[in-house]
Amino acid sequence: MRRLKQFGLILSLIFLAACGTTRAEIAPTFEQAAEEAKQSTVNFYMWGGDDGINRYIDEYVAPRLKETYDVELNRVPMDTAEFVRQLSLDKRANREEGTIDLMWINGDNFRNAAEADLLQGDLLDKIPNAALLNEEAQATDAGTPTNGLEVAWGNVQFVLHYDADNVKNPPTTFDELHRWTEENPGRFTYPEVTDFTGNAFVRHLLYAEYGAAAGDGEIPDEFWEKLATWSPHLWKQGSTYPKSLAQLDQLYAAGDVWMTMGFNERRAEAERNDGVFPNGTRALVLEHSIASTHFLAVPFNATNPNGALVVINELLSPEAQLAKQDATYWGDGTSLDLTKLDASDRDAFLKLDEGVTYPDPERLADRSIPDYGPAVIDAIREEWERVAQ
Amino acid sequence: MSRSSLWISLFVLALPFTGVAFLIYETVGFDWSELNDAAWRASLAVTLYVTLVATAVSLVIGTWLARSVYRRRSTWLASLLRWPMFVPHVAAAYLFYVLFSGGFPFYGVVEANERHHLVVILTYVWKEVPFVFLMVIGTYAQLNRGYVDMAKTLQLTPFEQFKVAEWPFLVKPLLDSFWVLVAFISFAYEVPALLGVTFPELLGVLAYERLTTGLFLNAFESYAVALVWTLFIFIGVIGSYTLTAKRRRRIERGMRR
Repeated sequence: MRRLKQFGLILSLIFLAACGTTRAEIAPTFEQAAEEAKQSTVNFYMWGGDDGINRYIDEYVAPRLKETYDVELNRVPMDTAEFVRQLSLDKRANREEGTIDLMWINGDNFRNAAEADLLQGDLLDKIPNAALLNEEAQATDAGTPTNGLEVAWGNVQFVLHYDADNVKNPPTTFDELHRWTEENPGRFTYPEVTDFTGNAFVRHLLYAEYGAAAGDGEIPDEFWEKLATWSPHLWKQGSTYPKSLAQLDQLYAAGDVWMTMGFNERRAEAERNDGVFPNGTRALVLEHSIASTHFLAVPFNATNPNGALVVINELLSPEAQLAKQDATYWGDGTSLDLTKLDASDRDAFLKLDEGVTYPDPERLADRSIPDYGPAVIDAIREEWERVAQ
Repeated sequence: MSRSSLWISLFVLALPFTGVAFLIYETVGFDWSELNDAAWRASLAVTLYVTLVATAVSLVIGTWLARSVYRRRSTWLASLLRWPMFVPHVAAAYLFYVLFSGGFPFYGVVEANERHHLVVILTYVWKEVPFVFLMVIGTYAQLNRGYVDMAKTLQLTPFEQFKVAEWPFLVKPLLDSFWVLVAFISFAYEVPALLGVTFPELLGVLAYERLTTGLFLNAFESYAVALVWTLFIFIGVIGSYTLTAKRRRRIERGMRR
């Protein structure tokens, strides 16, 4: 059988090797890259599940690129894991001319792509606006060092939102939250840990118990025993959990539970204004909040890497970042360091910090902690089942 | 048989075989003991329970309805019964989700997302009864009334009338329906994903989850489970048809006379 496998592999390699041609080169300076990129198209692969994000790219970014650099932006909506897998197949088949020029990526997917050597390196020094980046956000991606393989595009923090009409005395720590669930049975739950947000919630509880020390992925049994004591007081007595954040948001919108959660401290504003979330929705920052950064990367076999650099530079410009943070489109936090900006740009950003459901920015920044590495995310995914049982 | 239809049949046949070949290829060298974890074991148990209960109930109700339509000649019932077949499974799952999860009339009696999976079973029964009905009604339409009349003349009880004059002809369509339903329900995603619980999950849901999350490290588990399950159903189909072959042939011959 192994023979057969090897034979199949060799056969497919021979076949696919025929497809490979030479790799496109990145220009040495940004000016040359911009010159090369003129009248070209950049294929931007990104998760396409949010209308506001899609409109930001199509209605704001694409026209600006066309006008300033004469570059056409083609947004391709696809699940991130899906196109990372496609890239790894390209790599295995040695295909040097891929279909993806630029991609939106972070967390697990970045780690996989970096380990499989799927990304172009040394991006930062070729992009002028990268000098404005928040260095802490740029340094690591959910615990994995970025090493110039990706460029920070946005930076958000984890917050809870609650309905102030039902929750009169909101908790201030995770321990108090635990007690609150006991006093209000059935009014709280969190998504399954296969979900990005649900996993992050459990990481917050882990941090509340052990701090940064739990970073090696060795989670003590006592932690799971304690987490199991939450279950009887959760929604449906913890016999089941929402499959996704979207489902938790639905429960919250319907008034079944009184709290929801998620990365992006501004995410509830538009929902509340549209009447989806209750009018009394307010932010809740407990004793710590994981900061999460999302990134842009260029695949090893991009056919238009110069165009990709131009697009990244444009996406990092203070104007584009400001429009991104505005609730009109997306409400996503900036990846730039505000102290590096002009006074007028800085003021414009600070002015955006007014929203009914926004947390106090200073308090949020004060409670910010870096994420654990992938080892913890995997460990939680493996072991949480004990709680779900 | 024309040449083009031969090619189409070959192509259609080749697809599942390619799929199985792919699964075998991917599971070469797989450490089978990985499947011996609590999640997969619980999943197998709950899958067998949901599948067998939903299938059995659908078969009984579907047959019973076909029989009443046949005996009372109520064509309106026949056309009414077809309707659930035109509702996609996802839509049916949503329908039952709305009915059983939020303050609606049935709320509190039976709830969606609970461990007995009653709403999952109910959804499948609602969807599959018309299918069984259509499979069986054809047999009843062709049924020789002579047998029933003779059974009546011999003054057999209603149960014995059914046993000797109807049941032998129903074995074939019921066996067909049984395997179609088992294969379909046991490895489906939408309905149990929406109406099931976090633990235990049905095979289809757990397999999809392991296939798509994290580093794809667990993808091989899903391939292995898909392979085992396919073979299990394949063997079940072959076995059950072989066991009943002699009897079915005799009946078919008897019908043709």
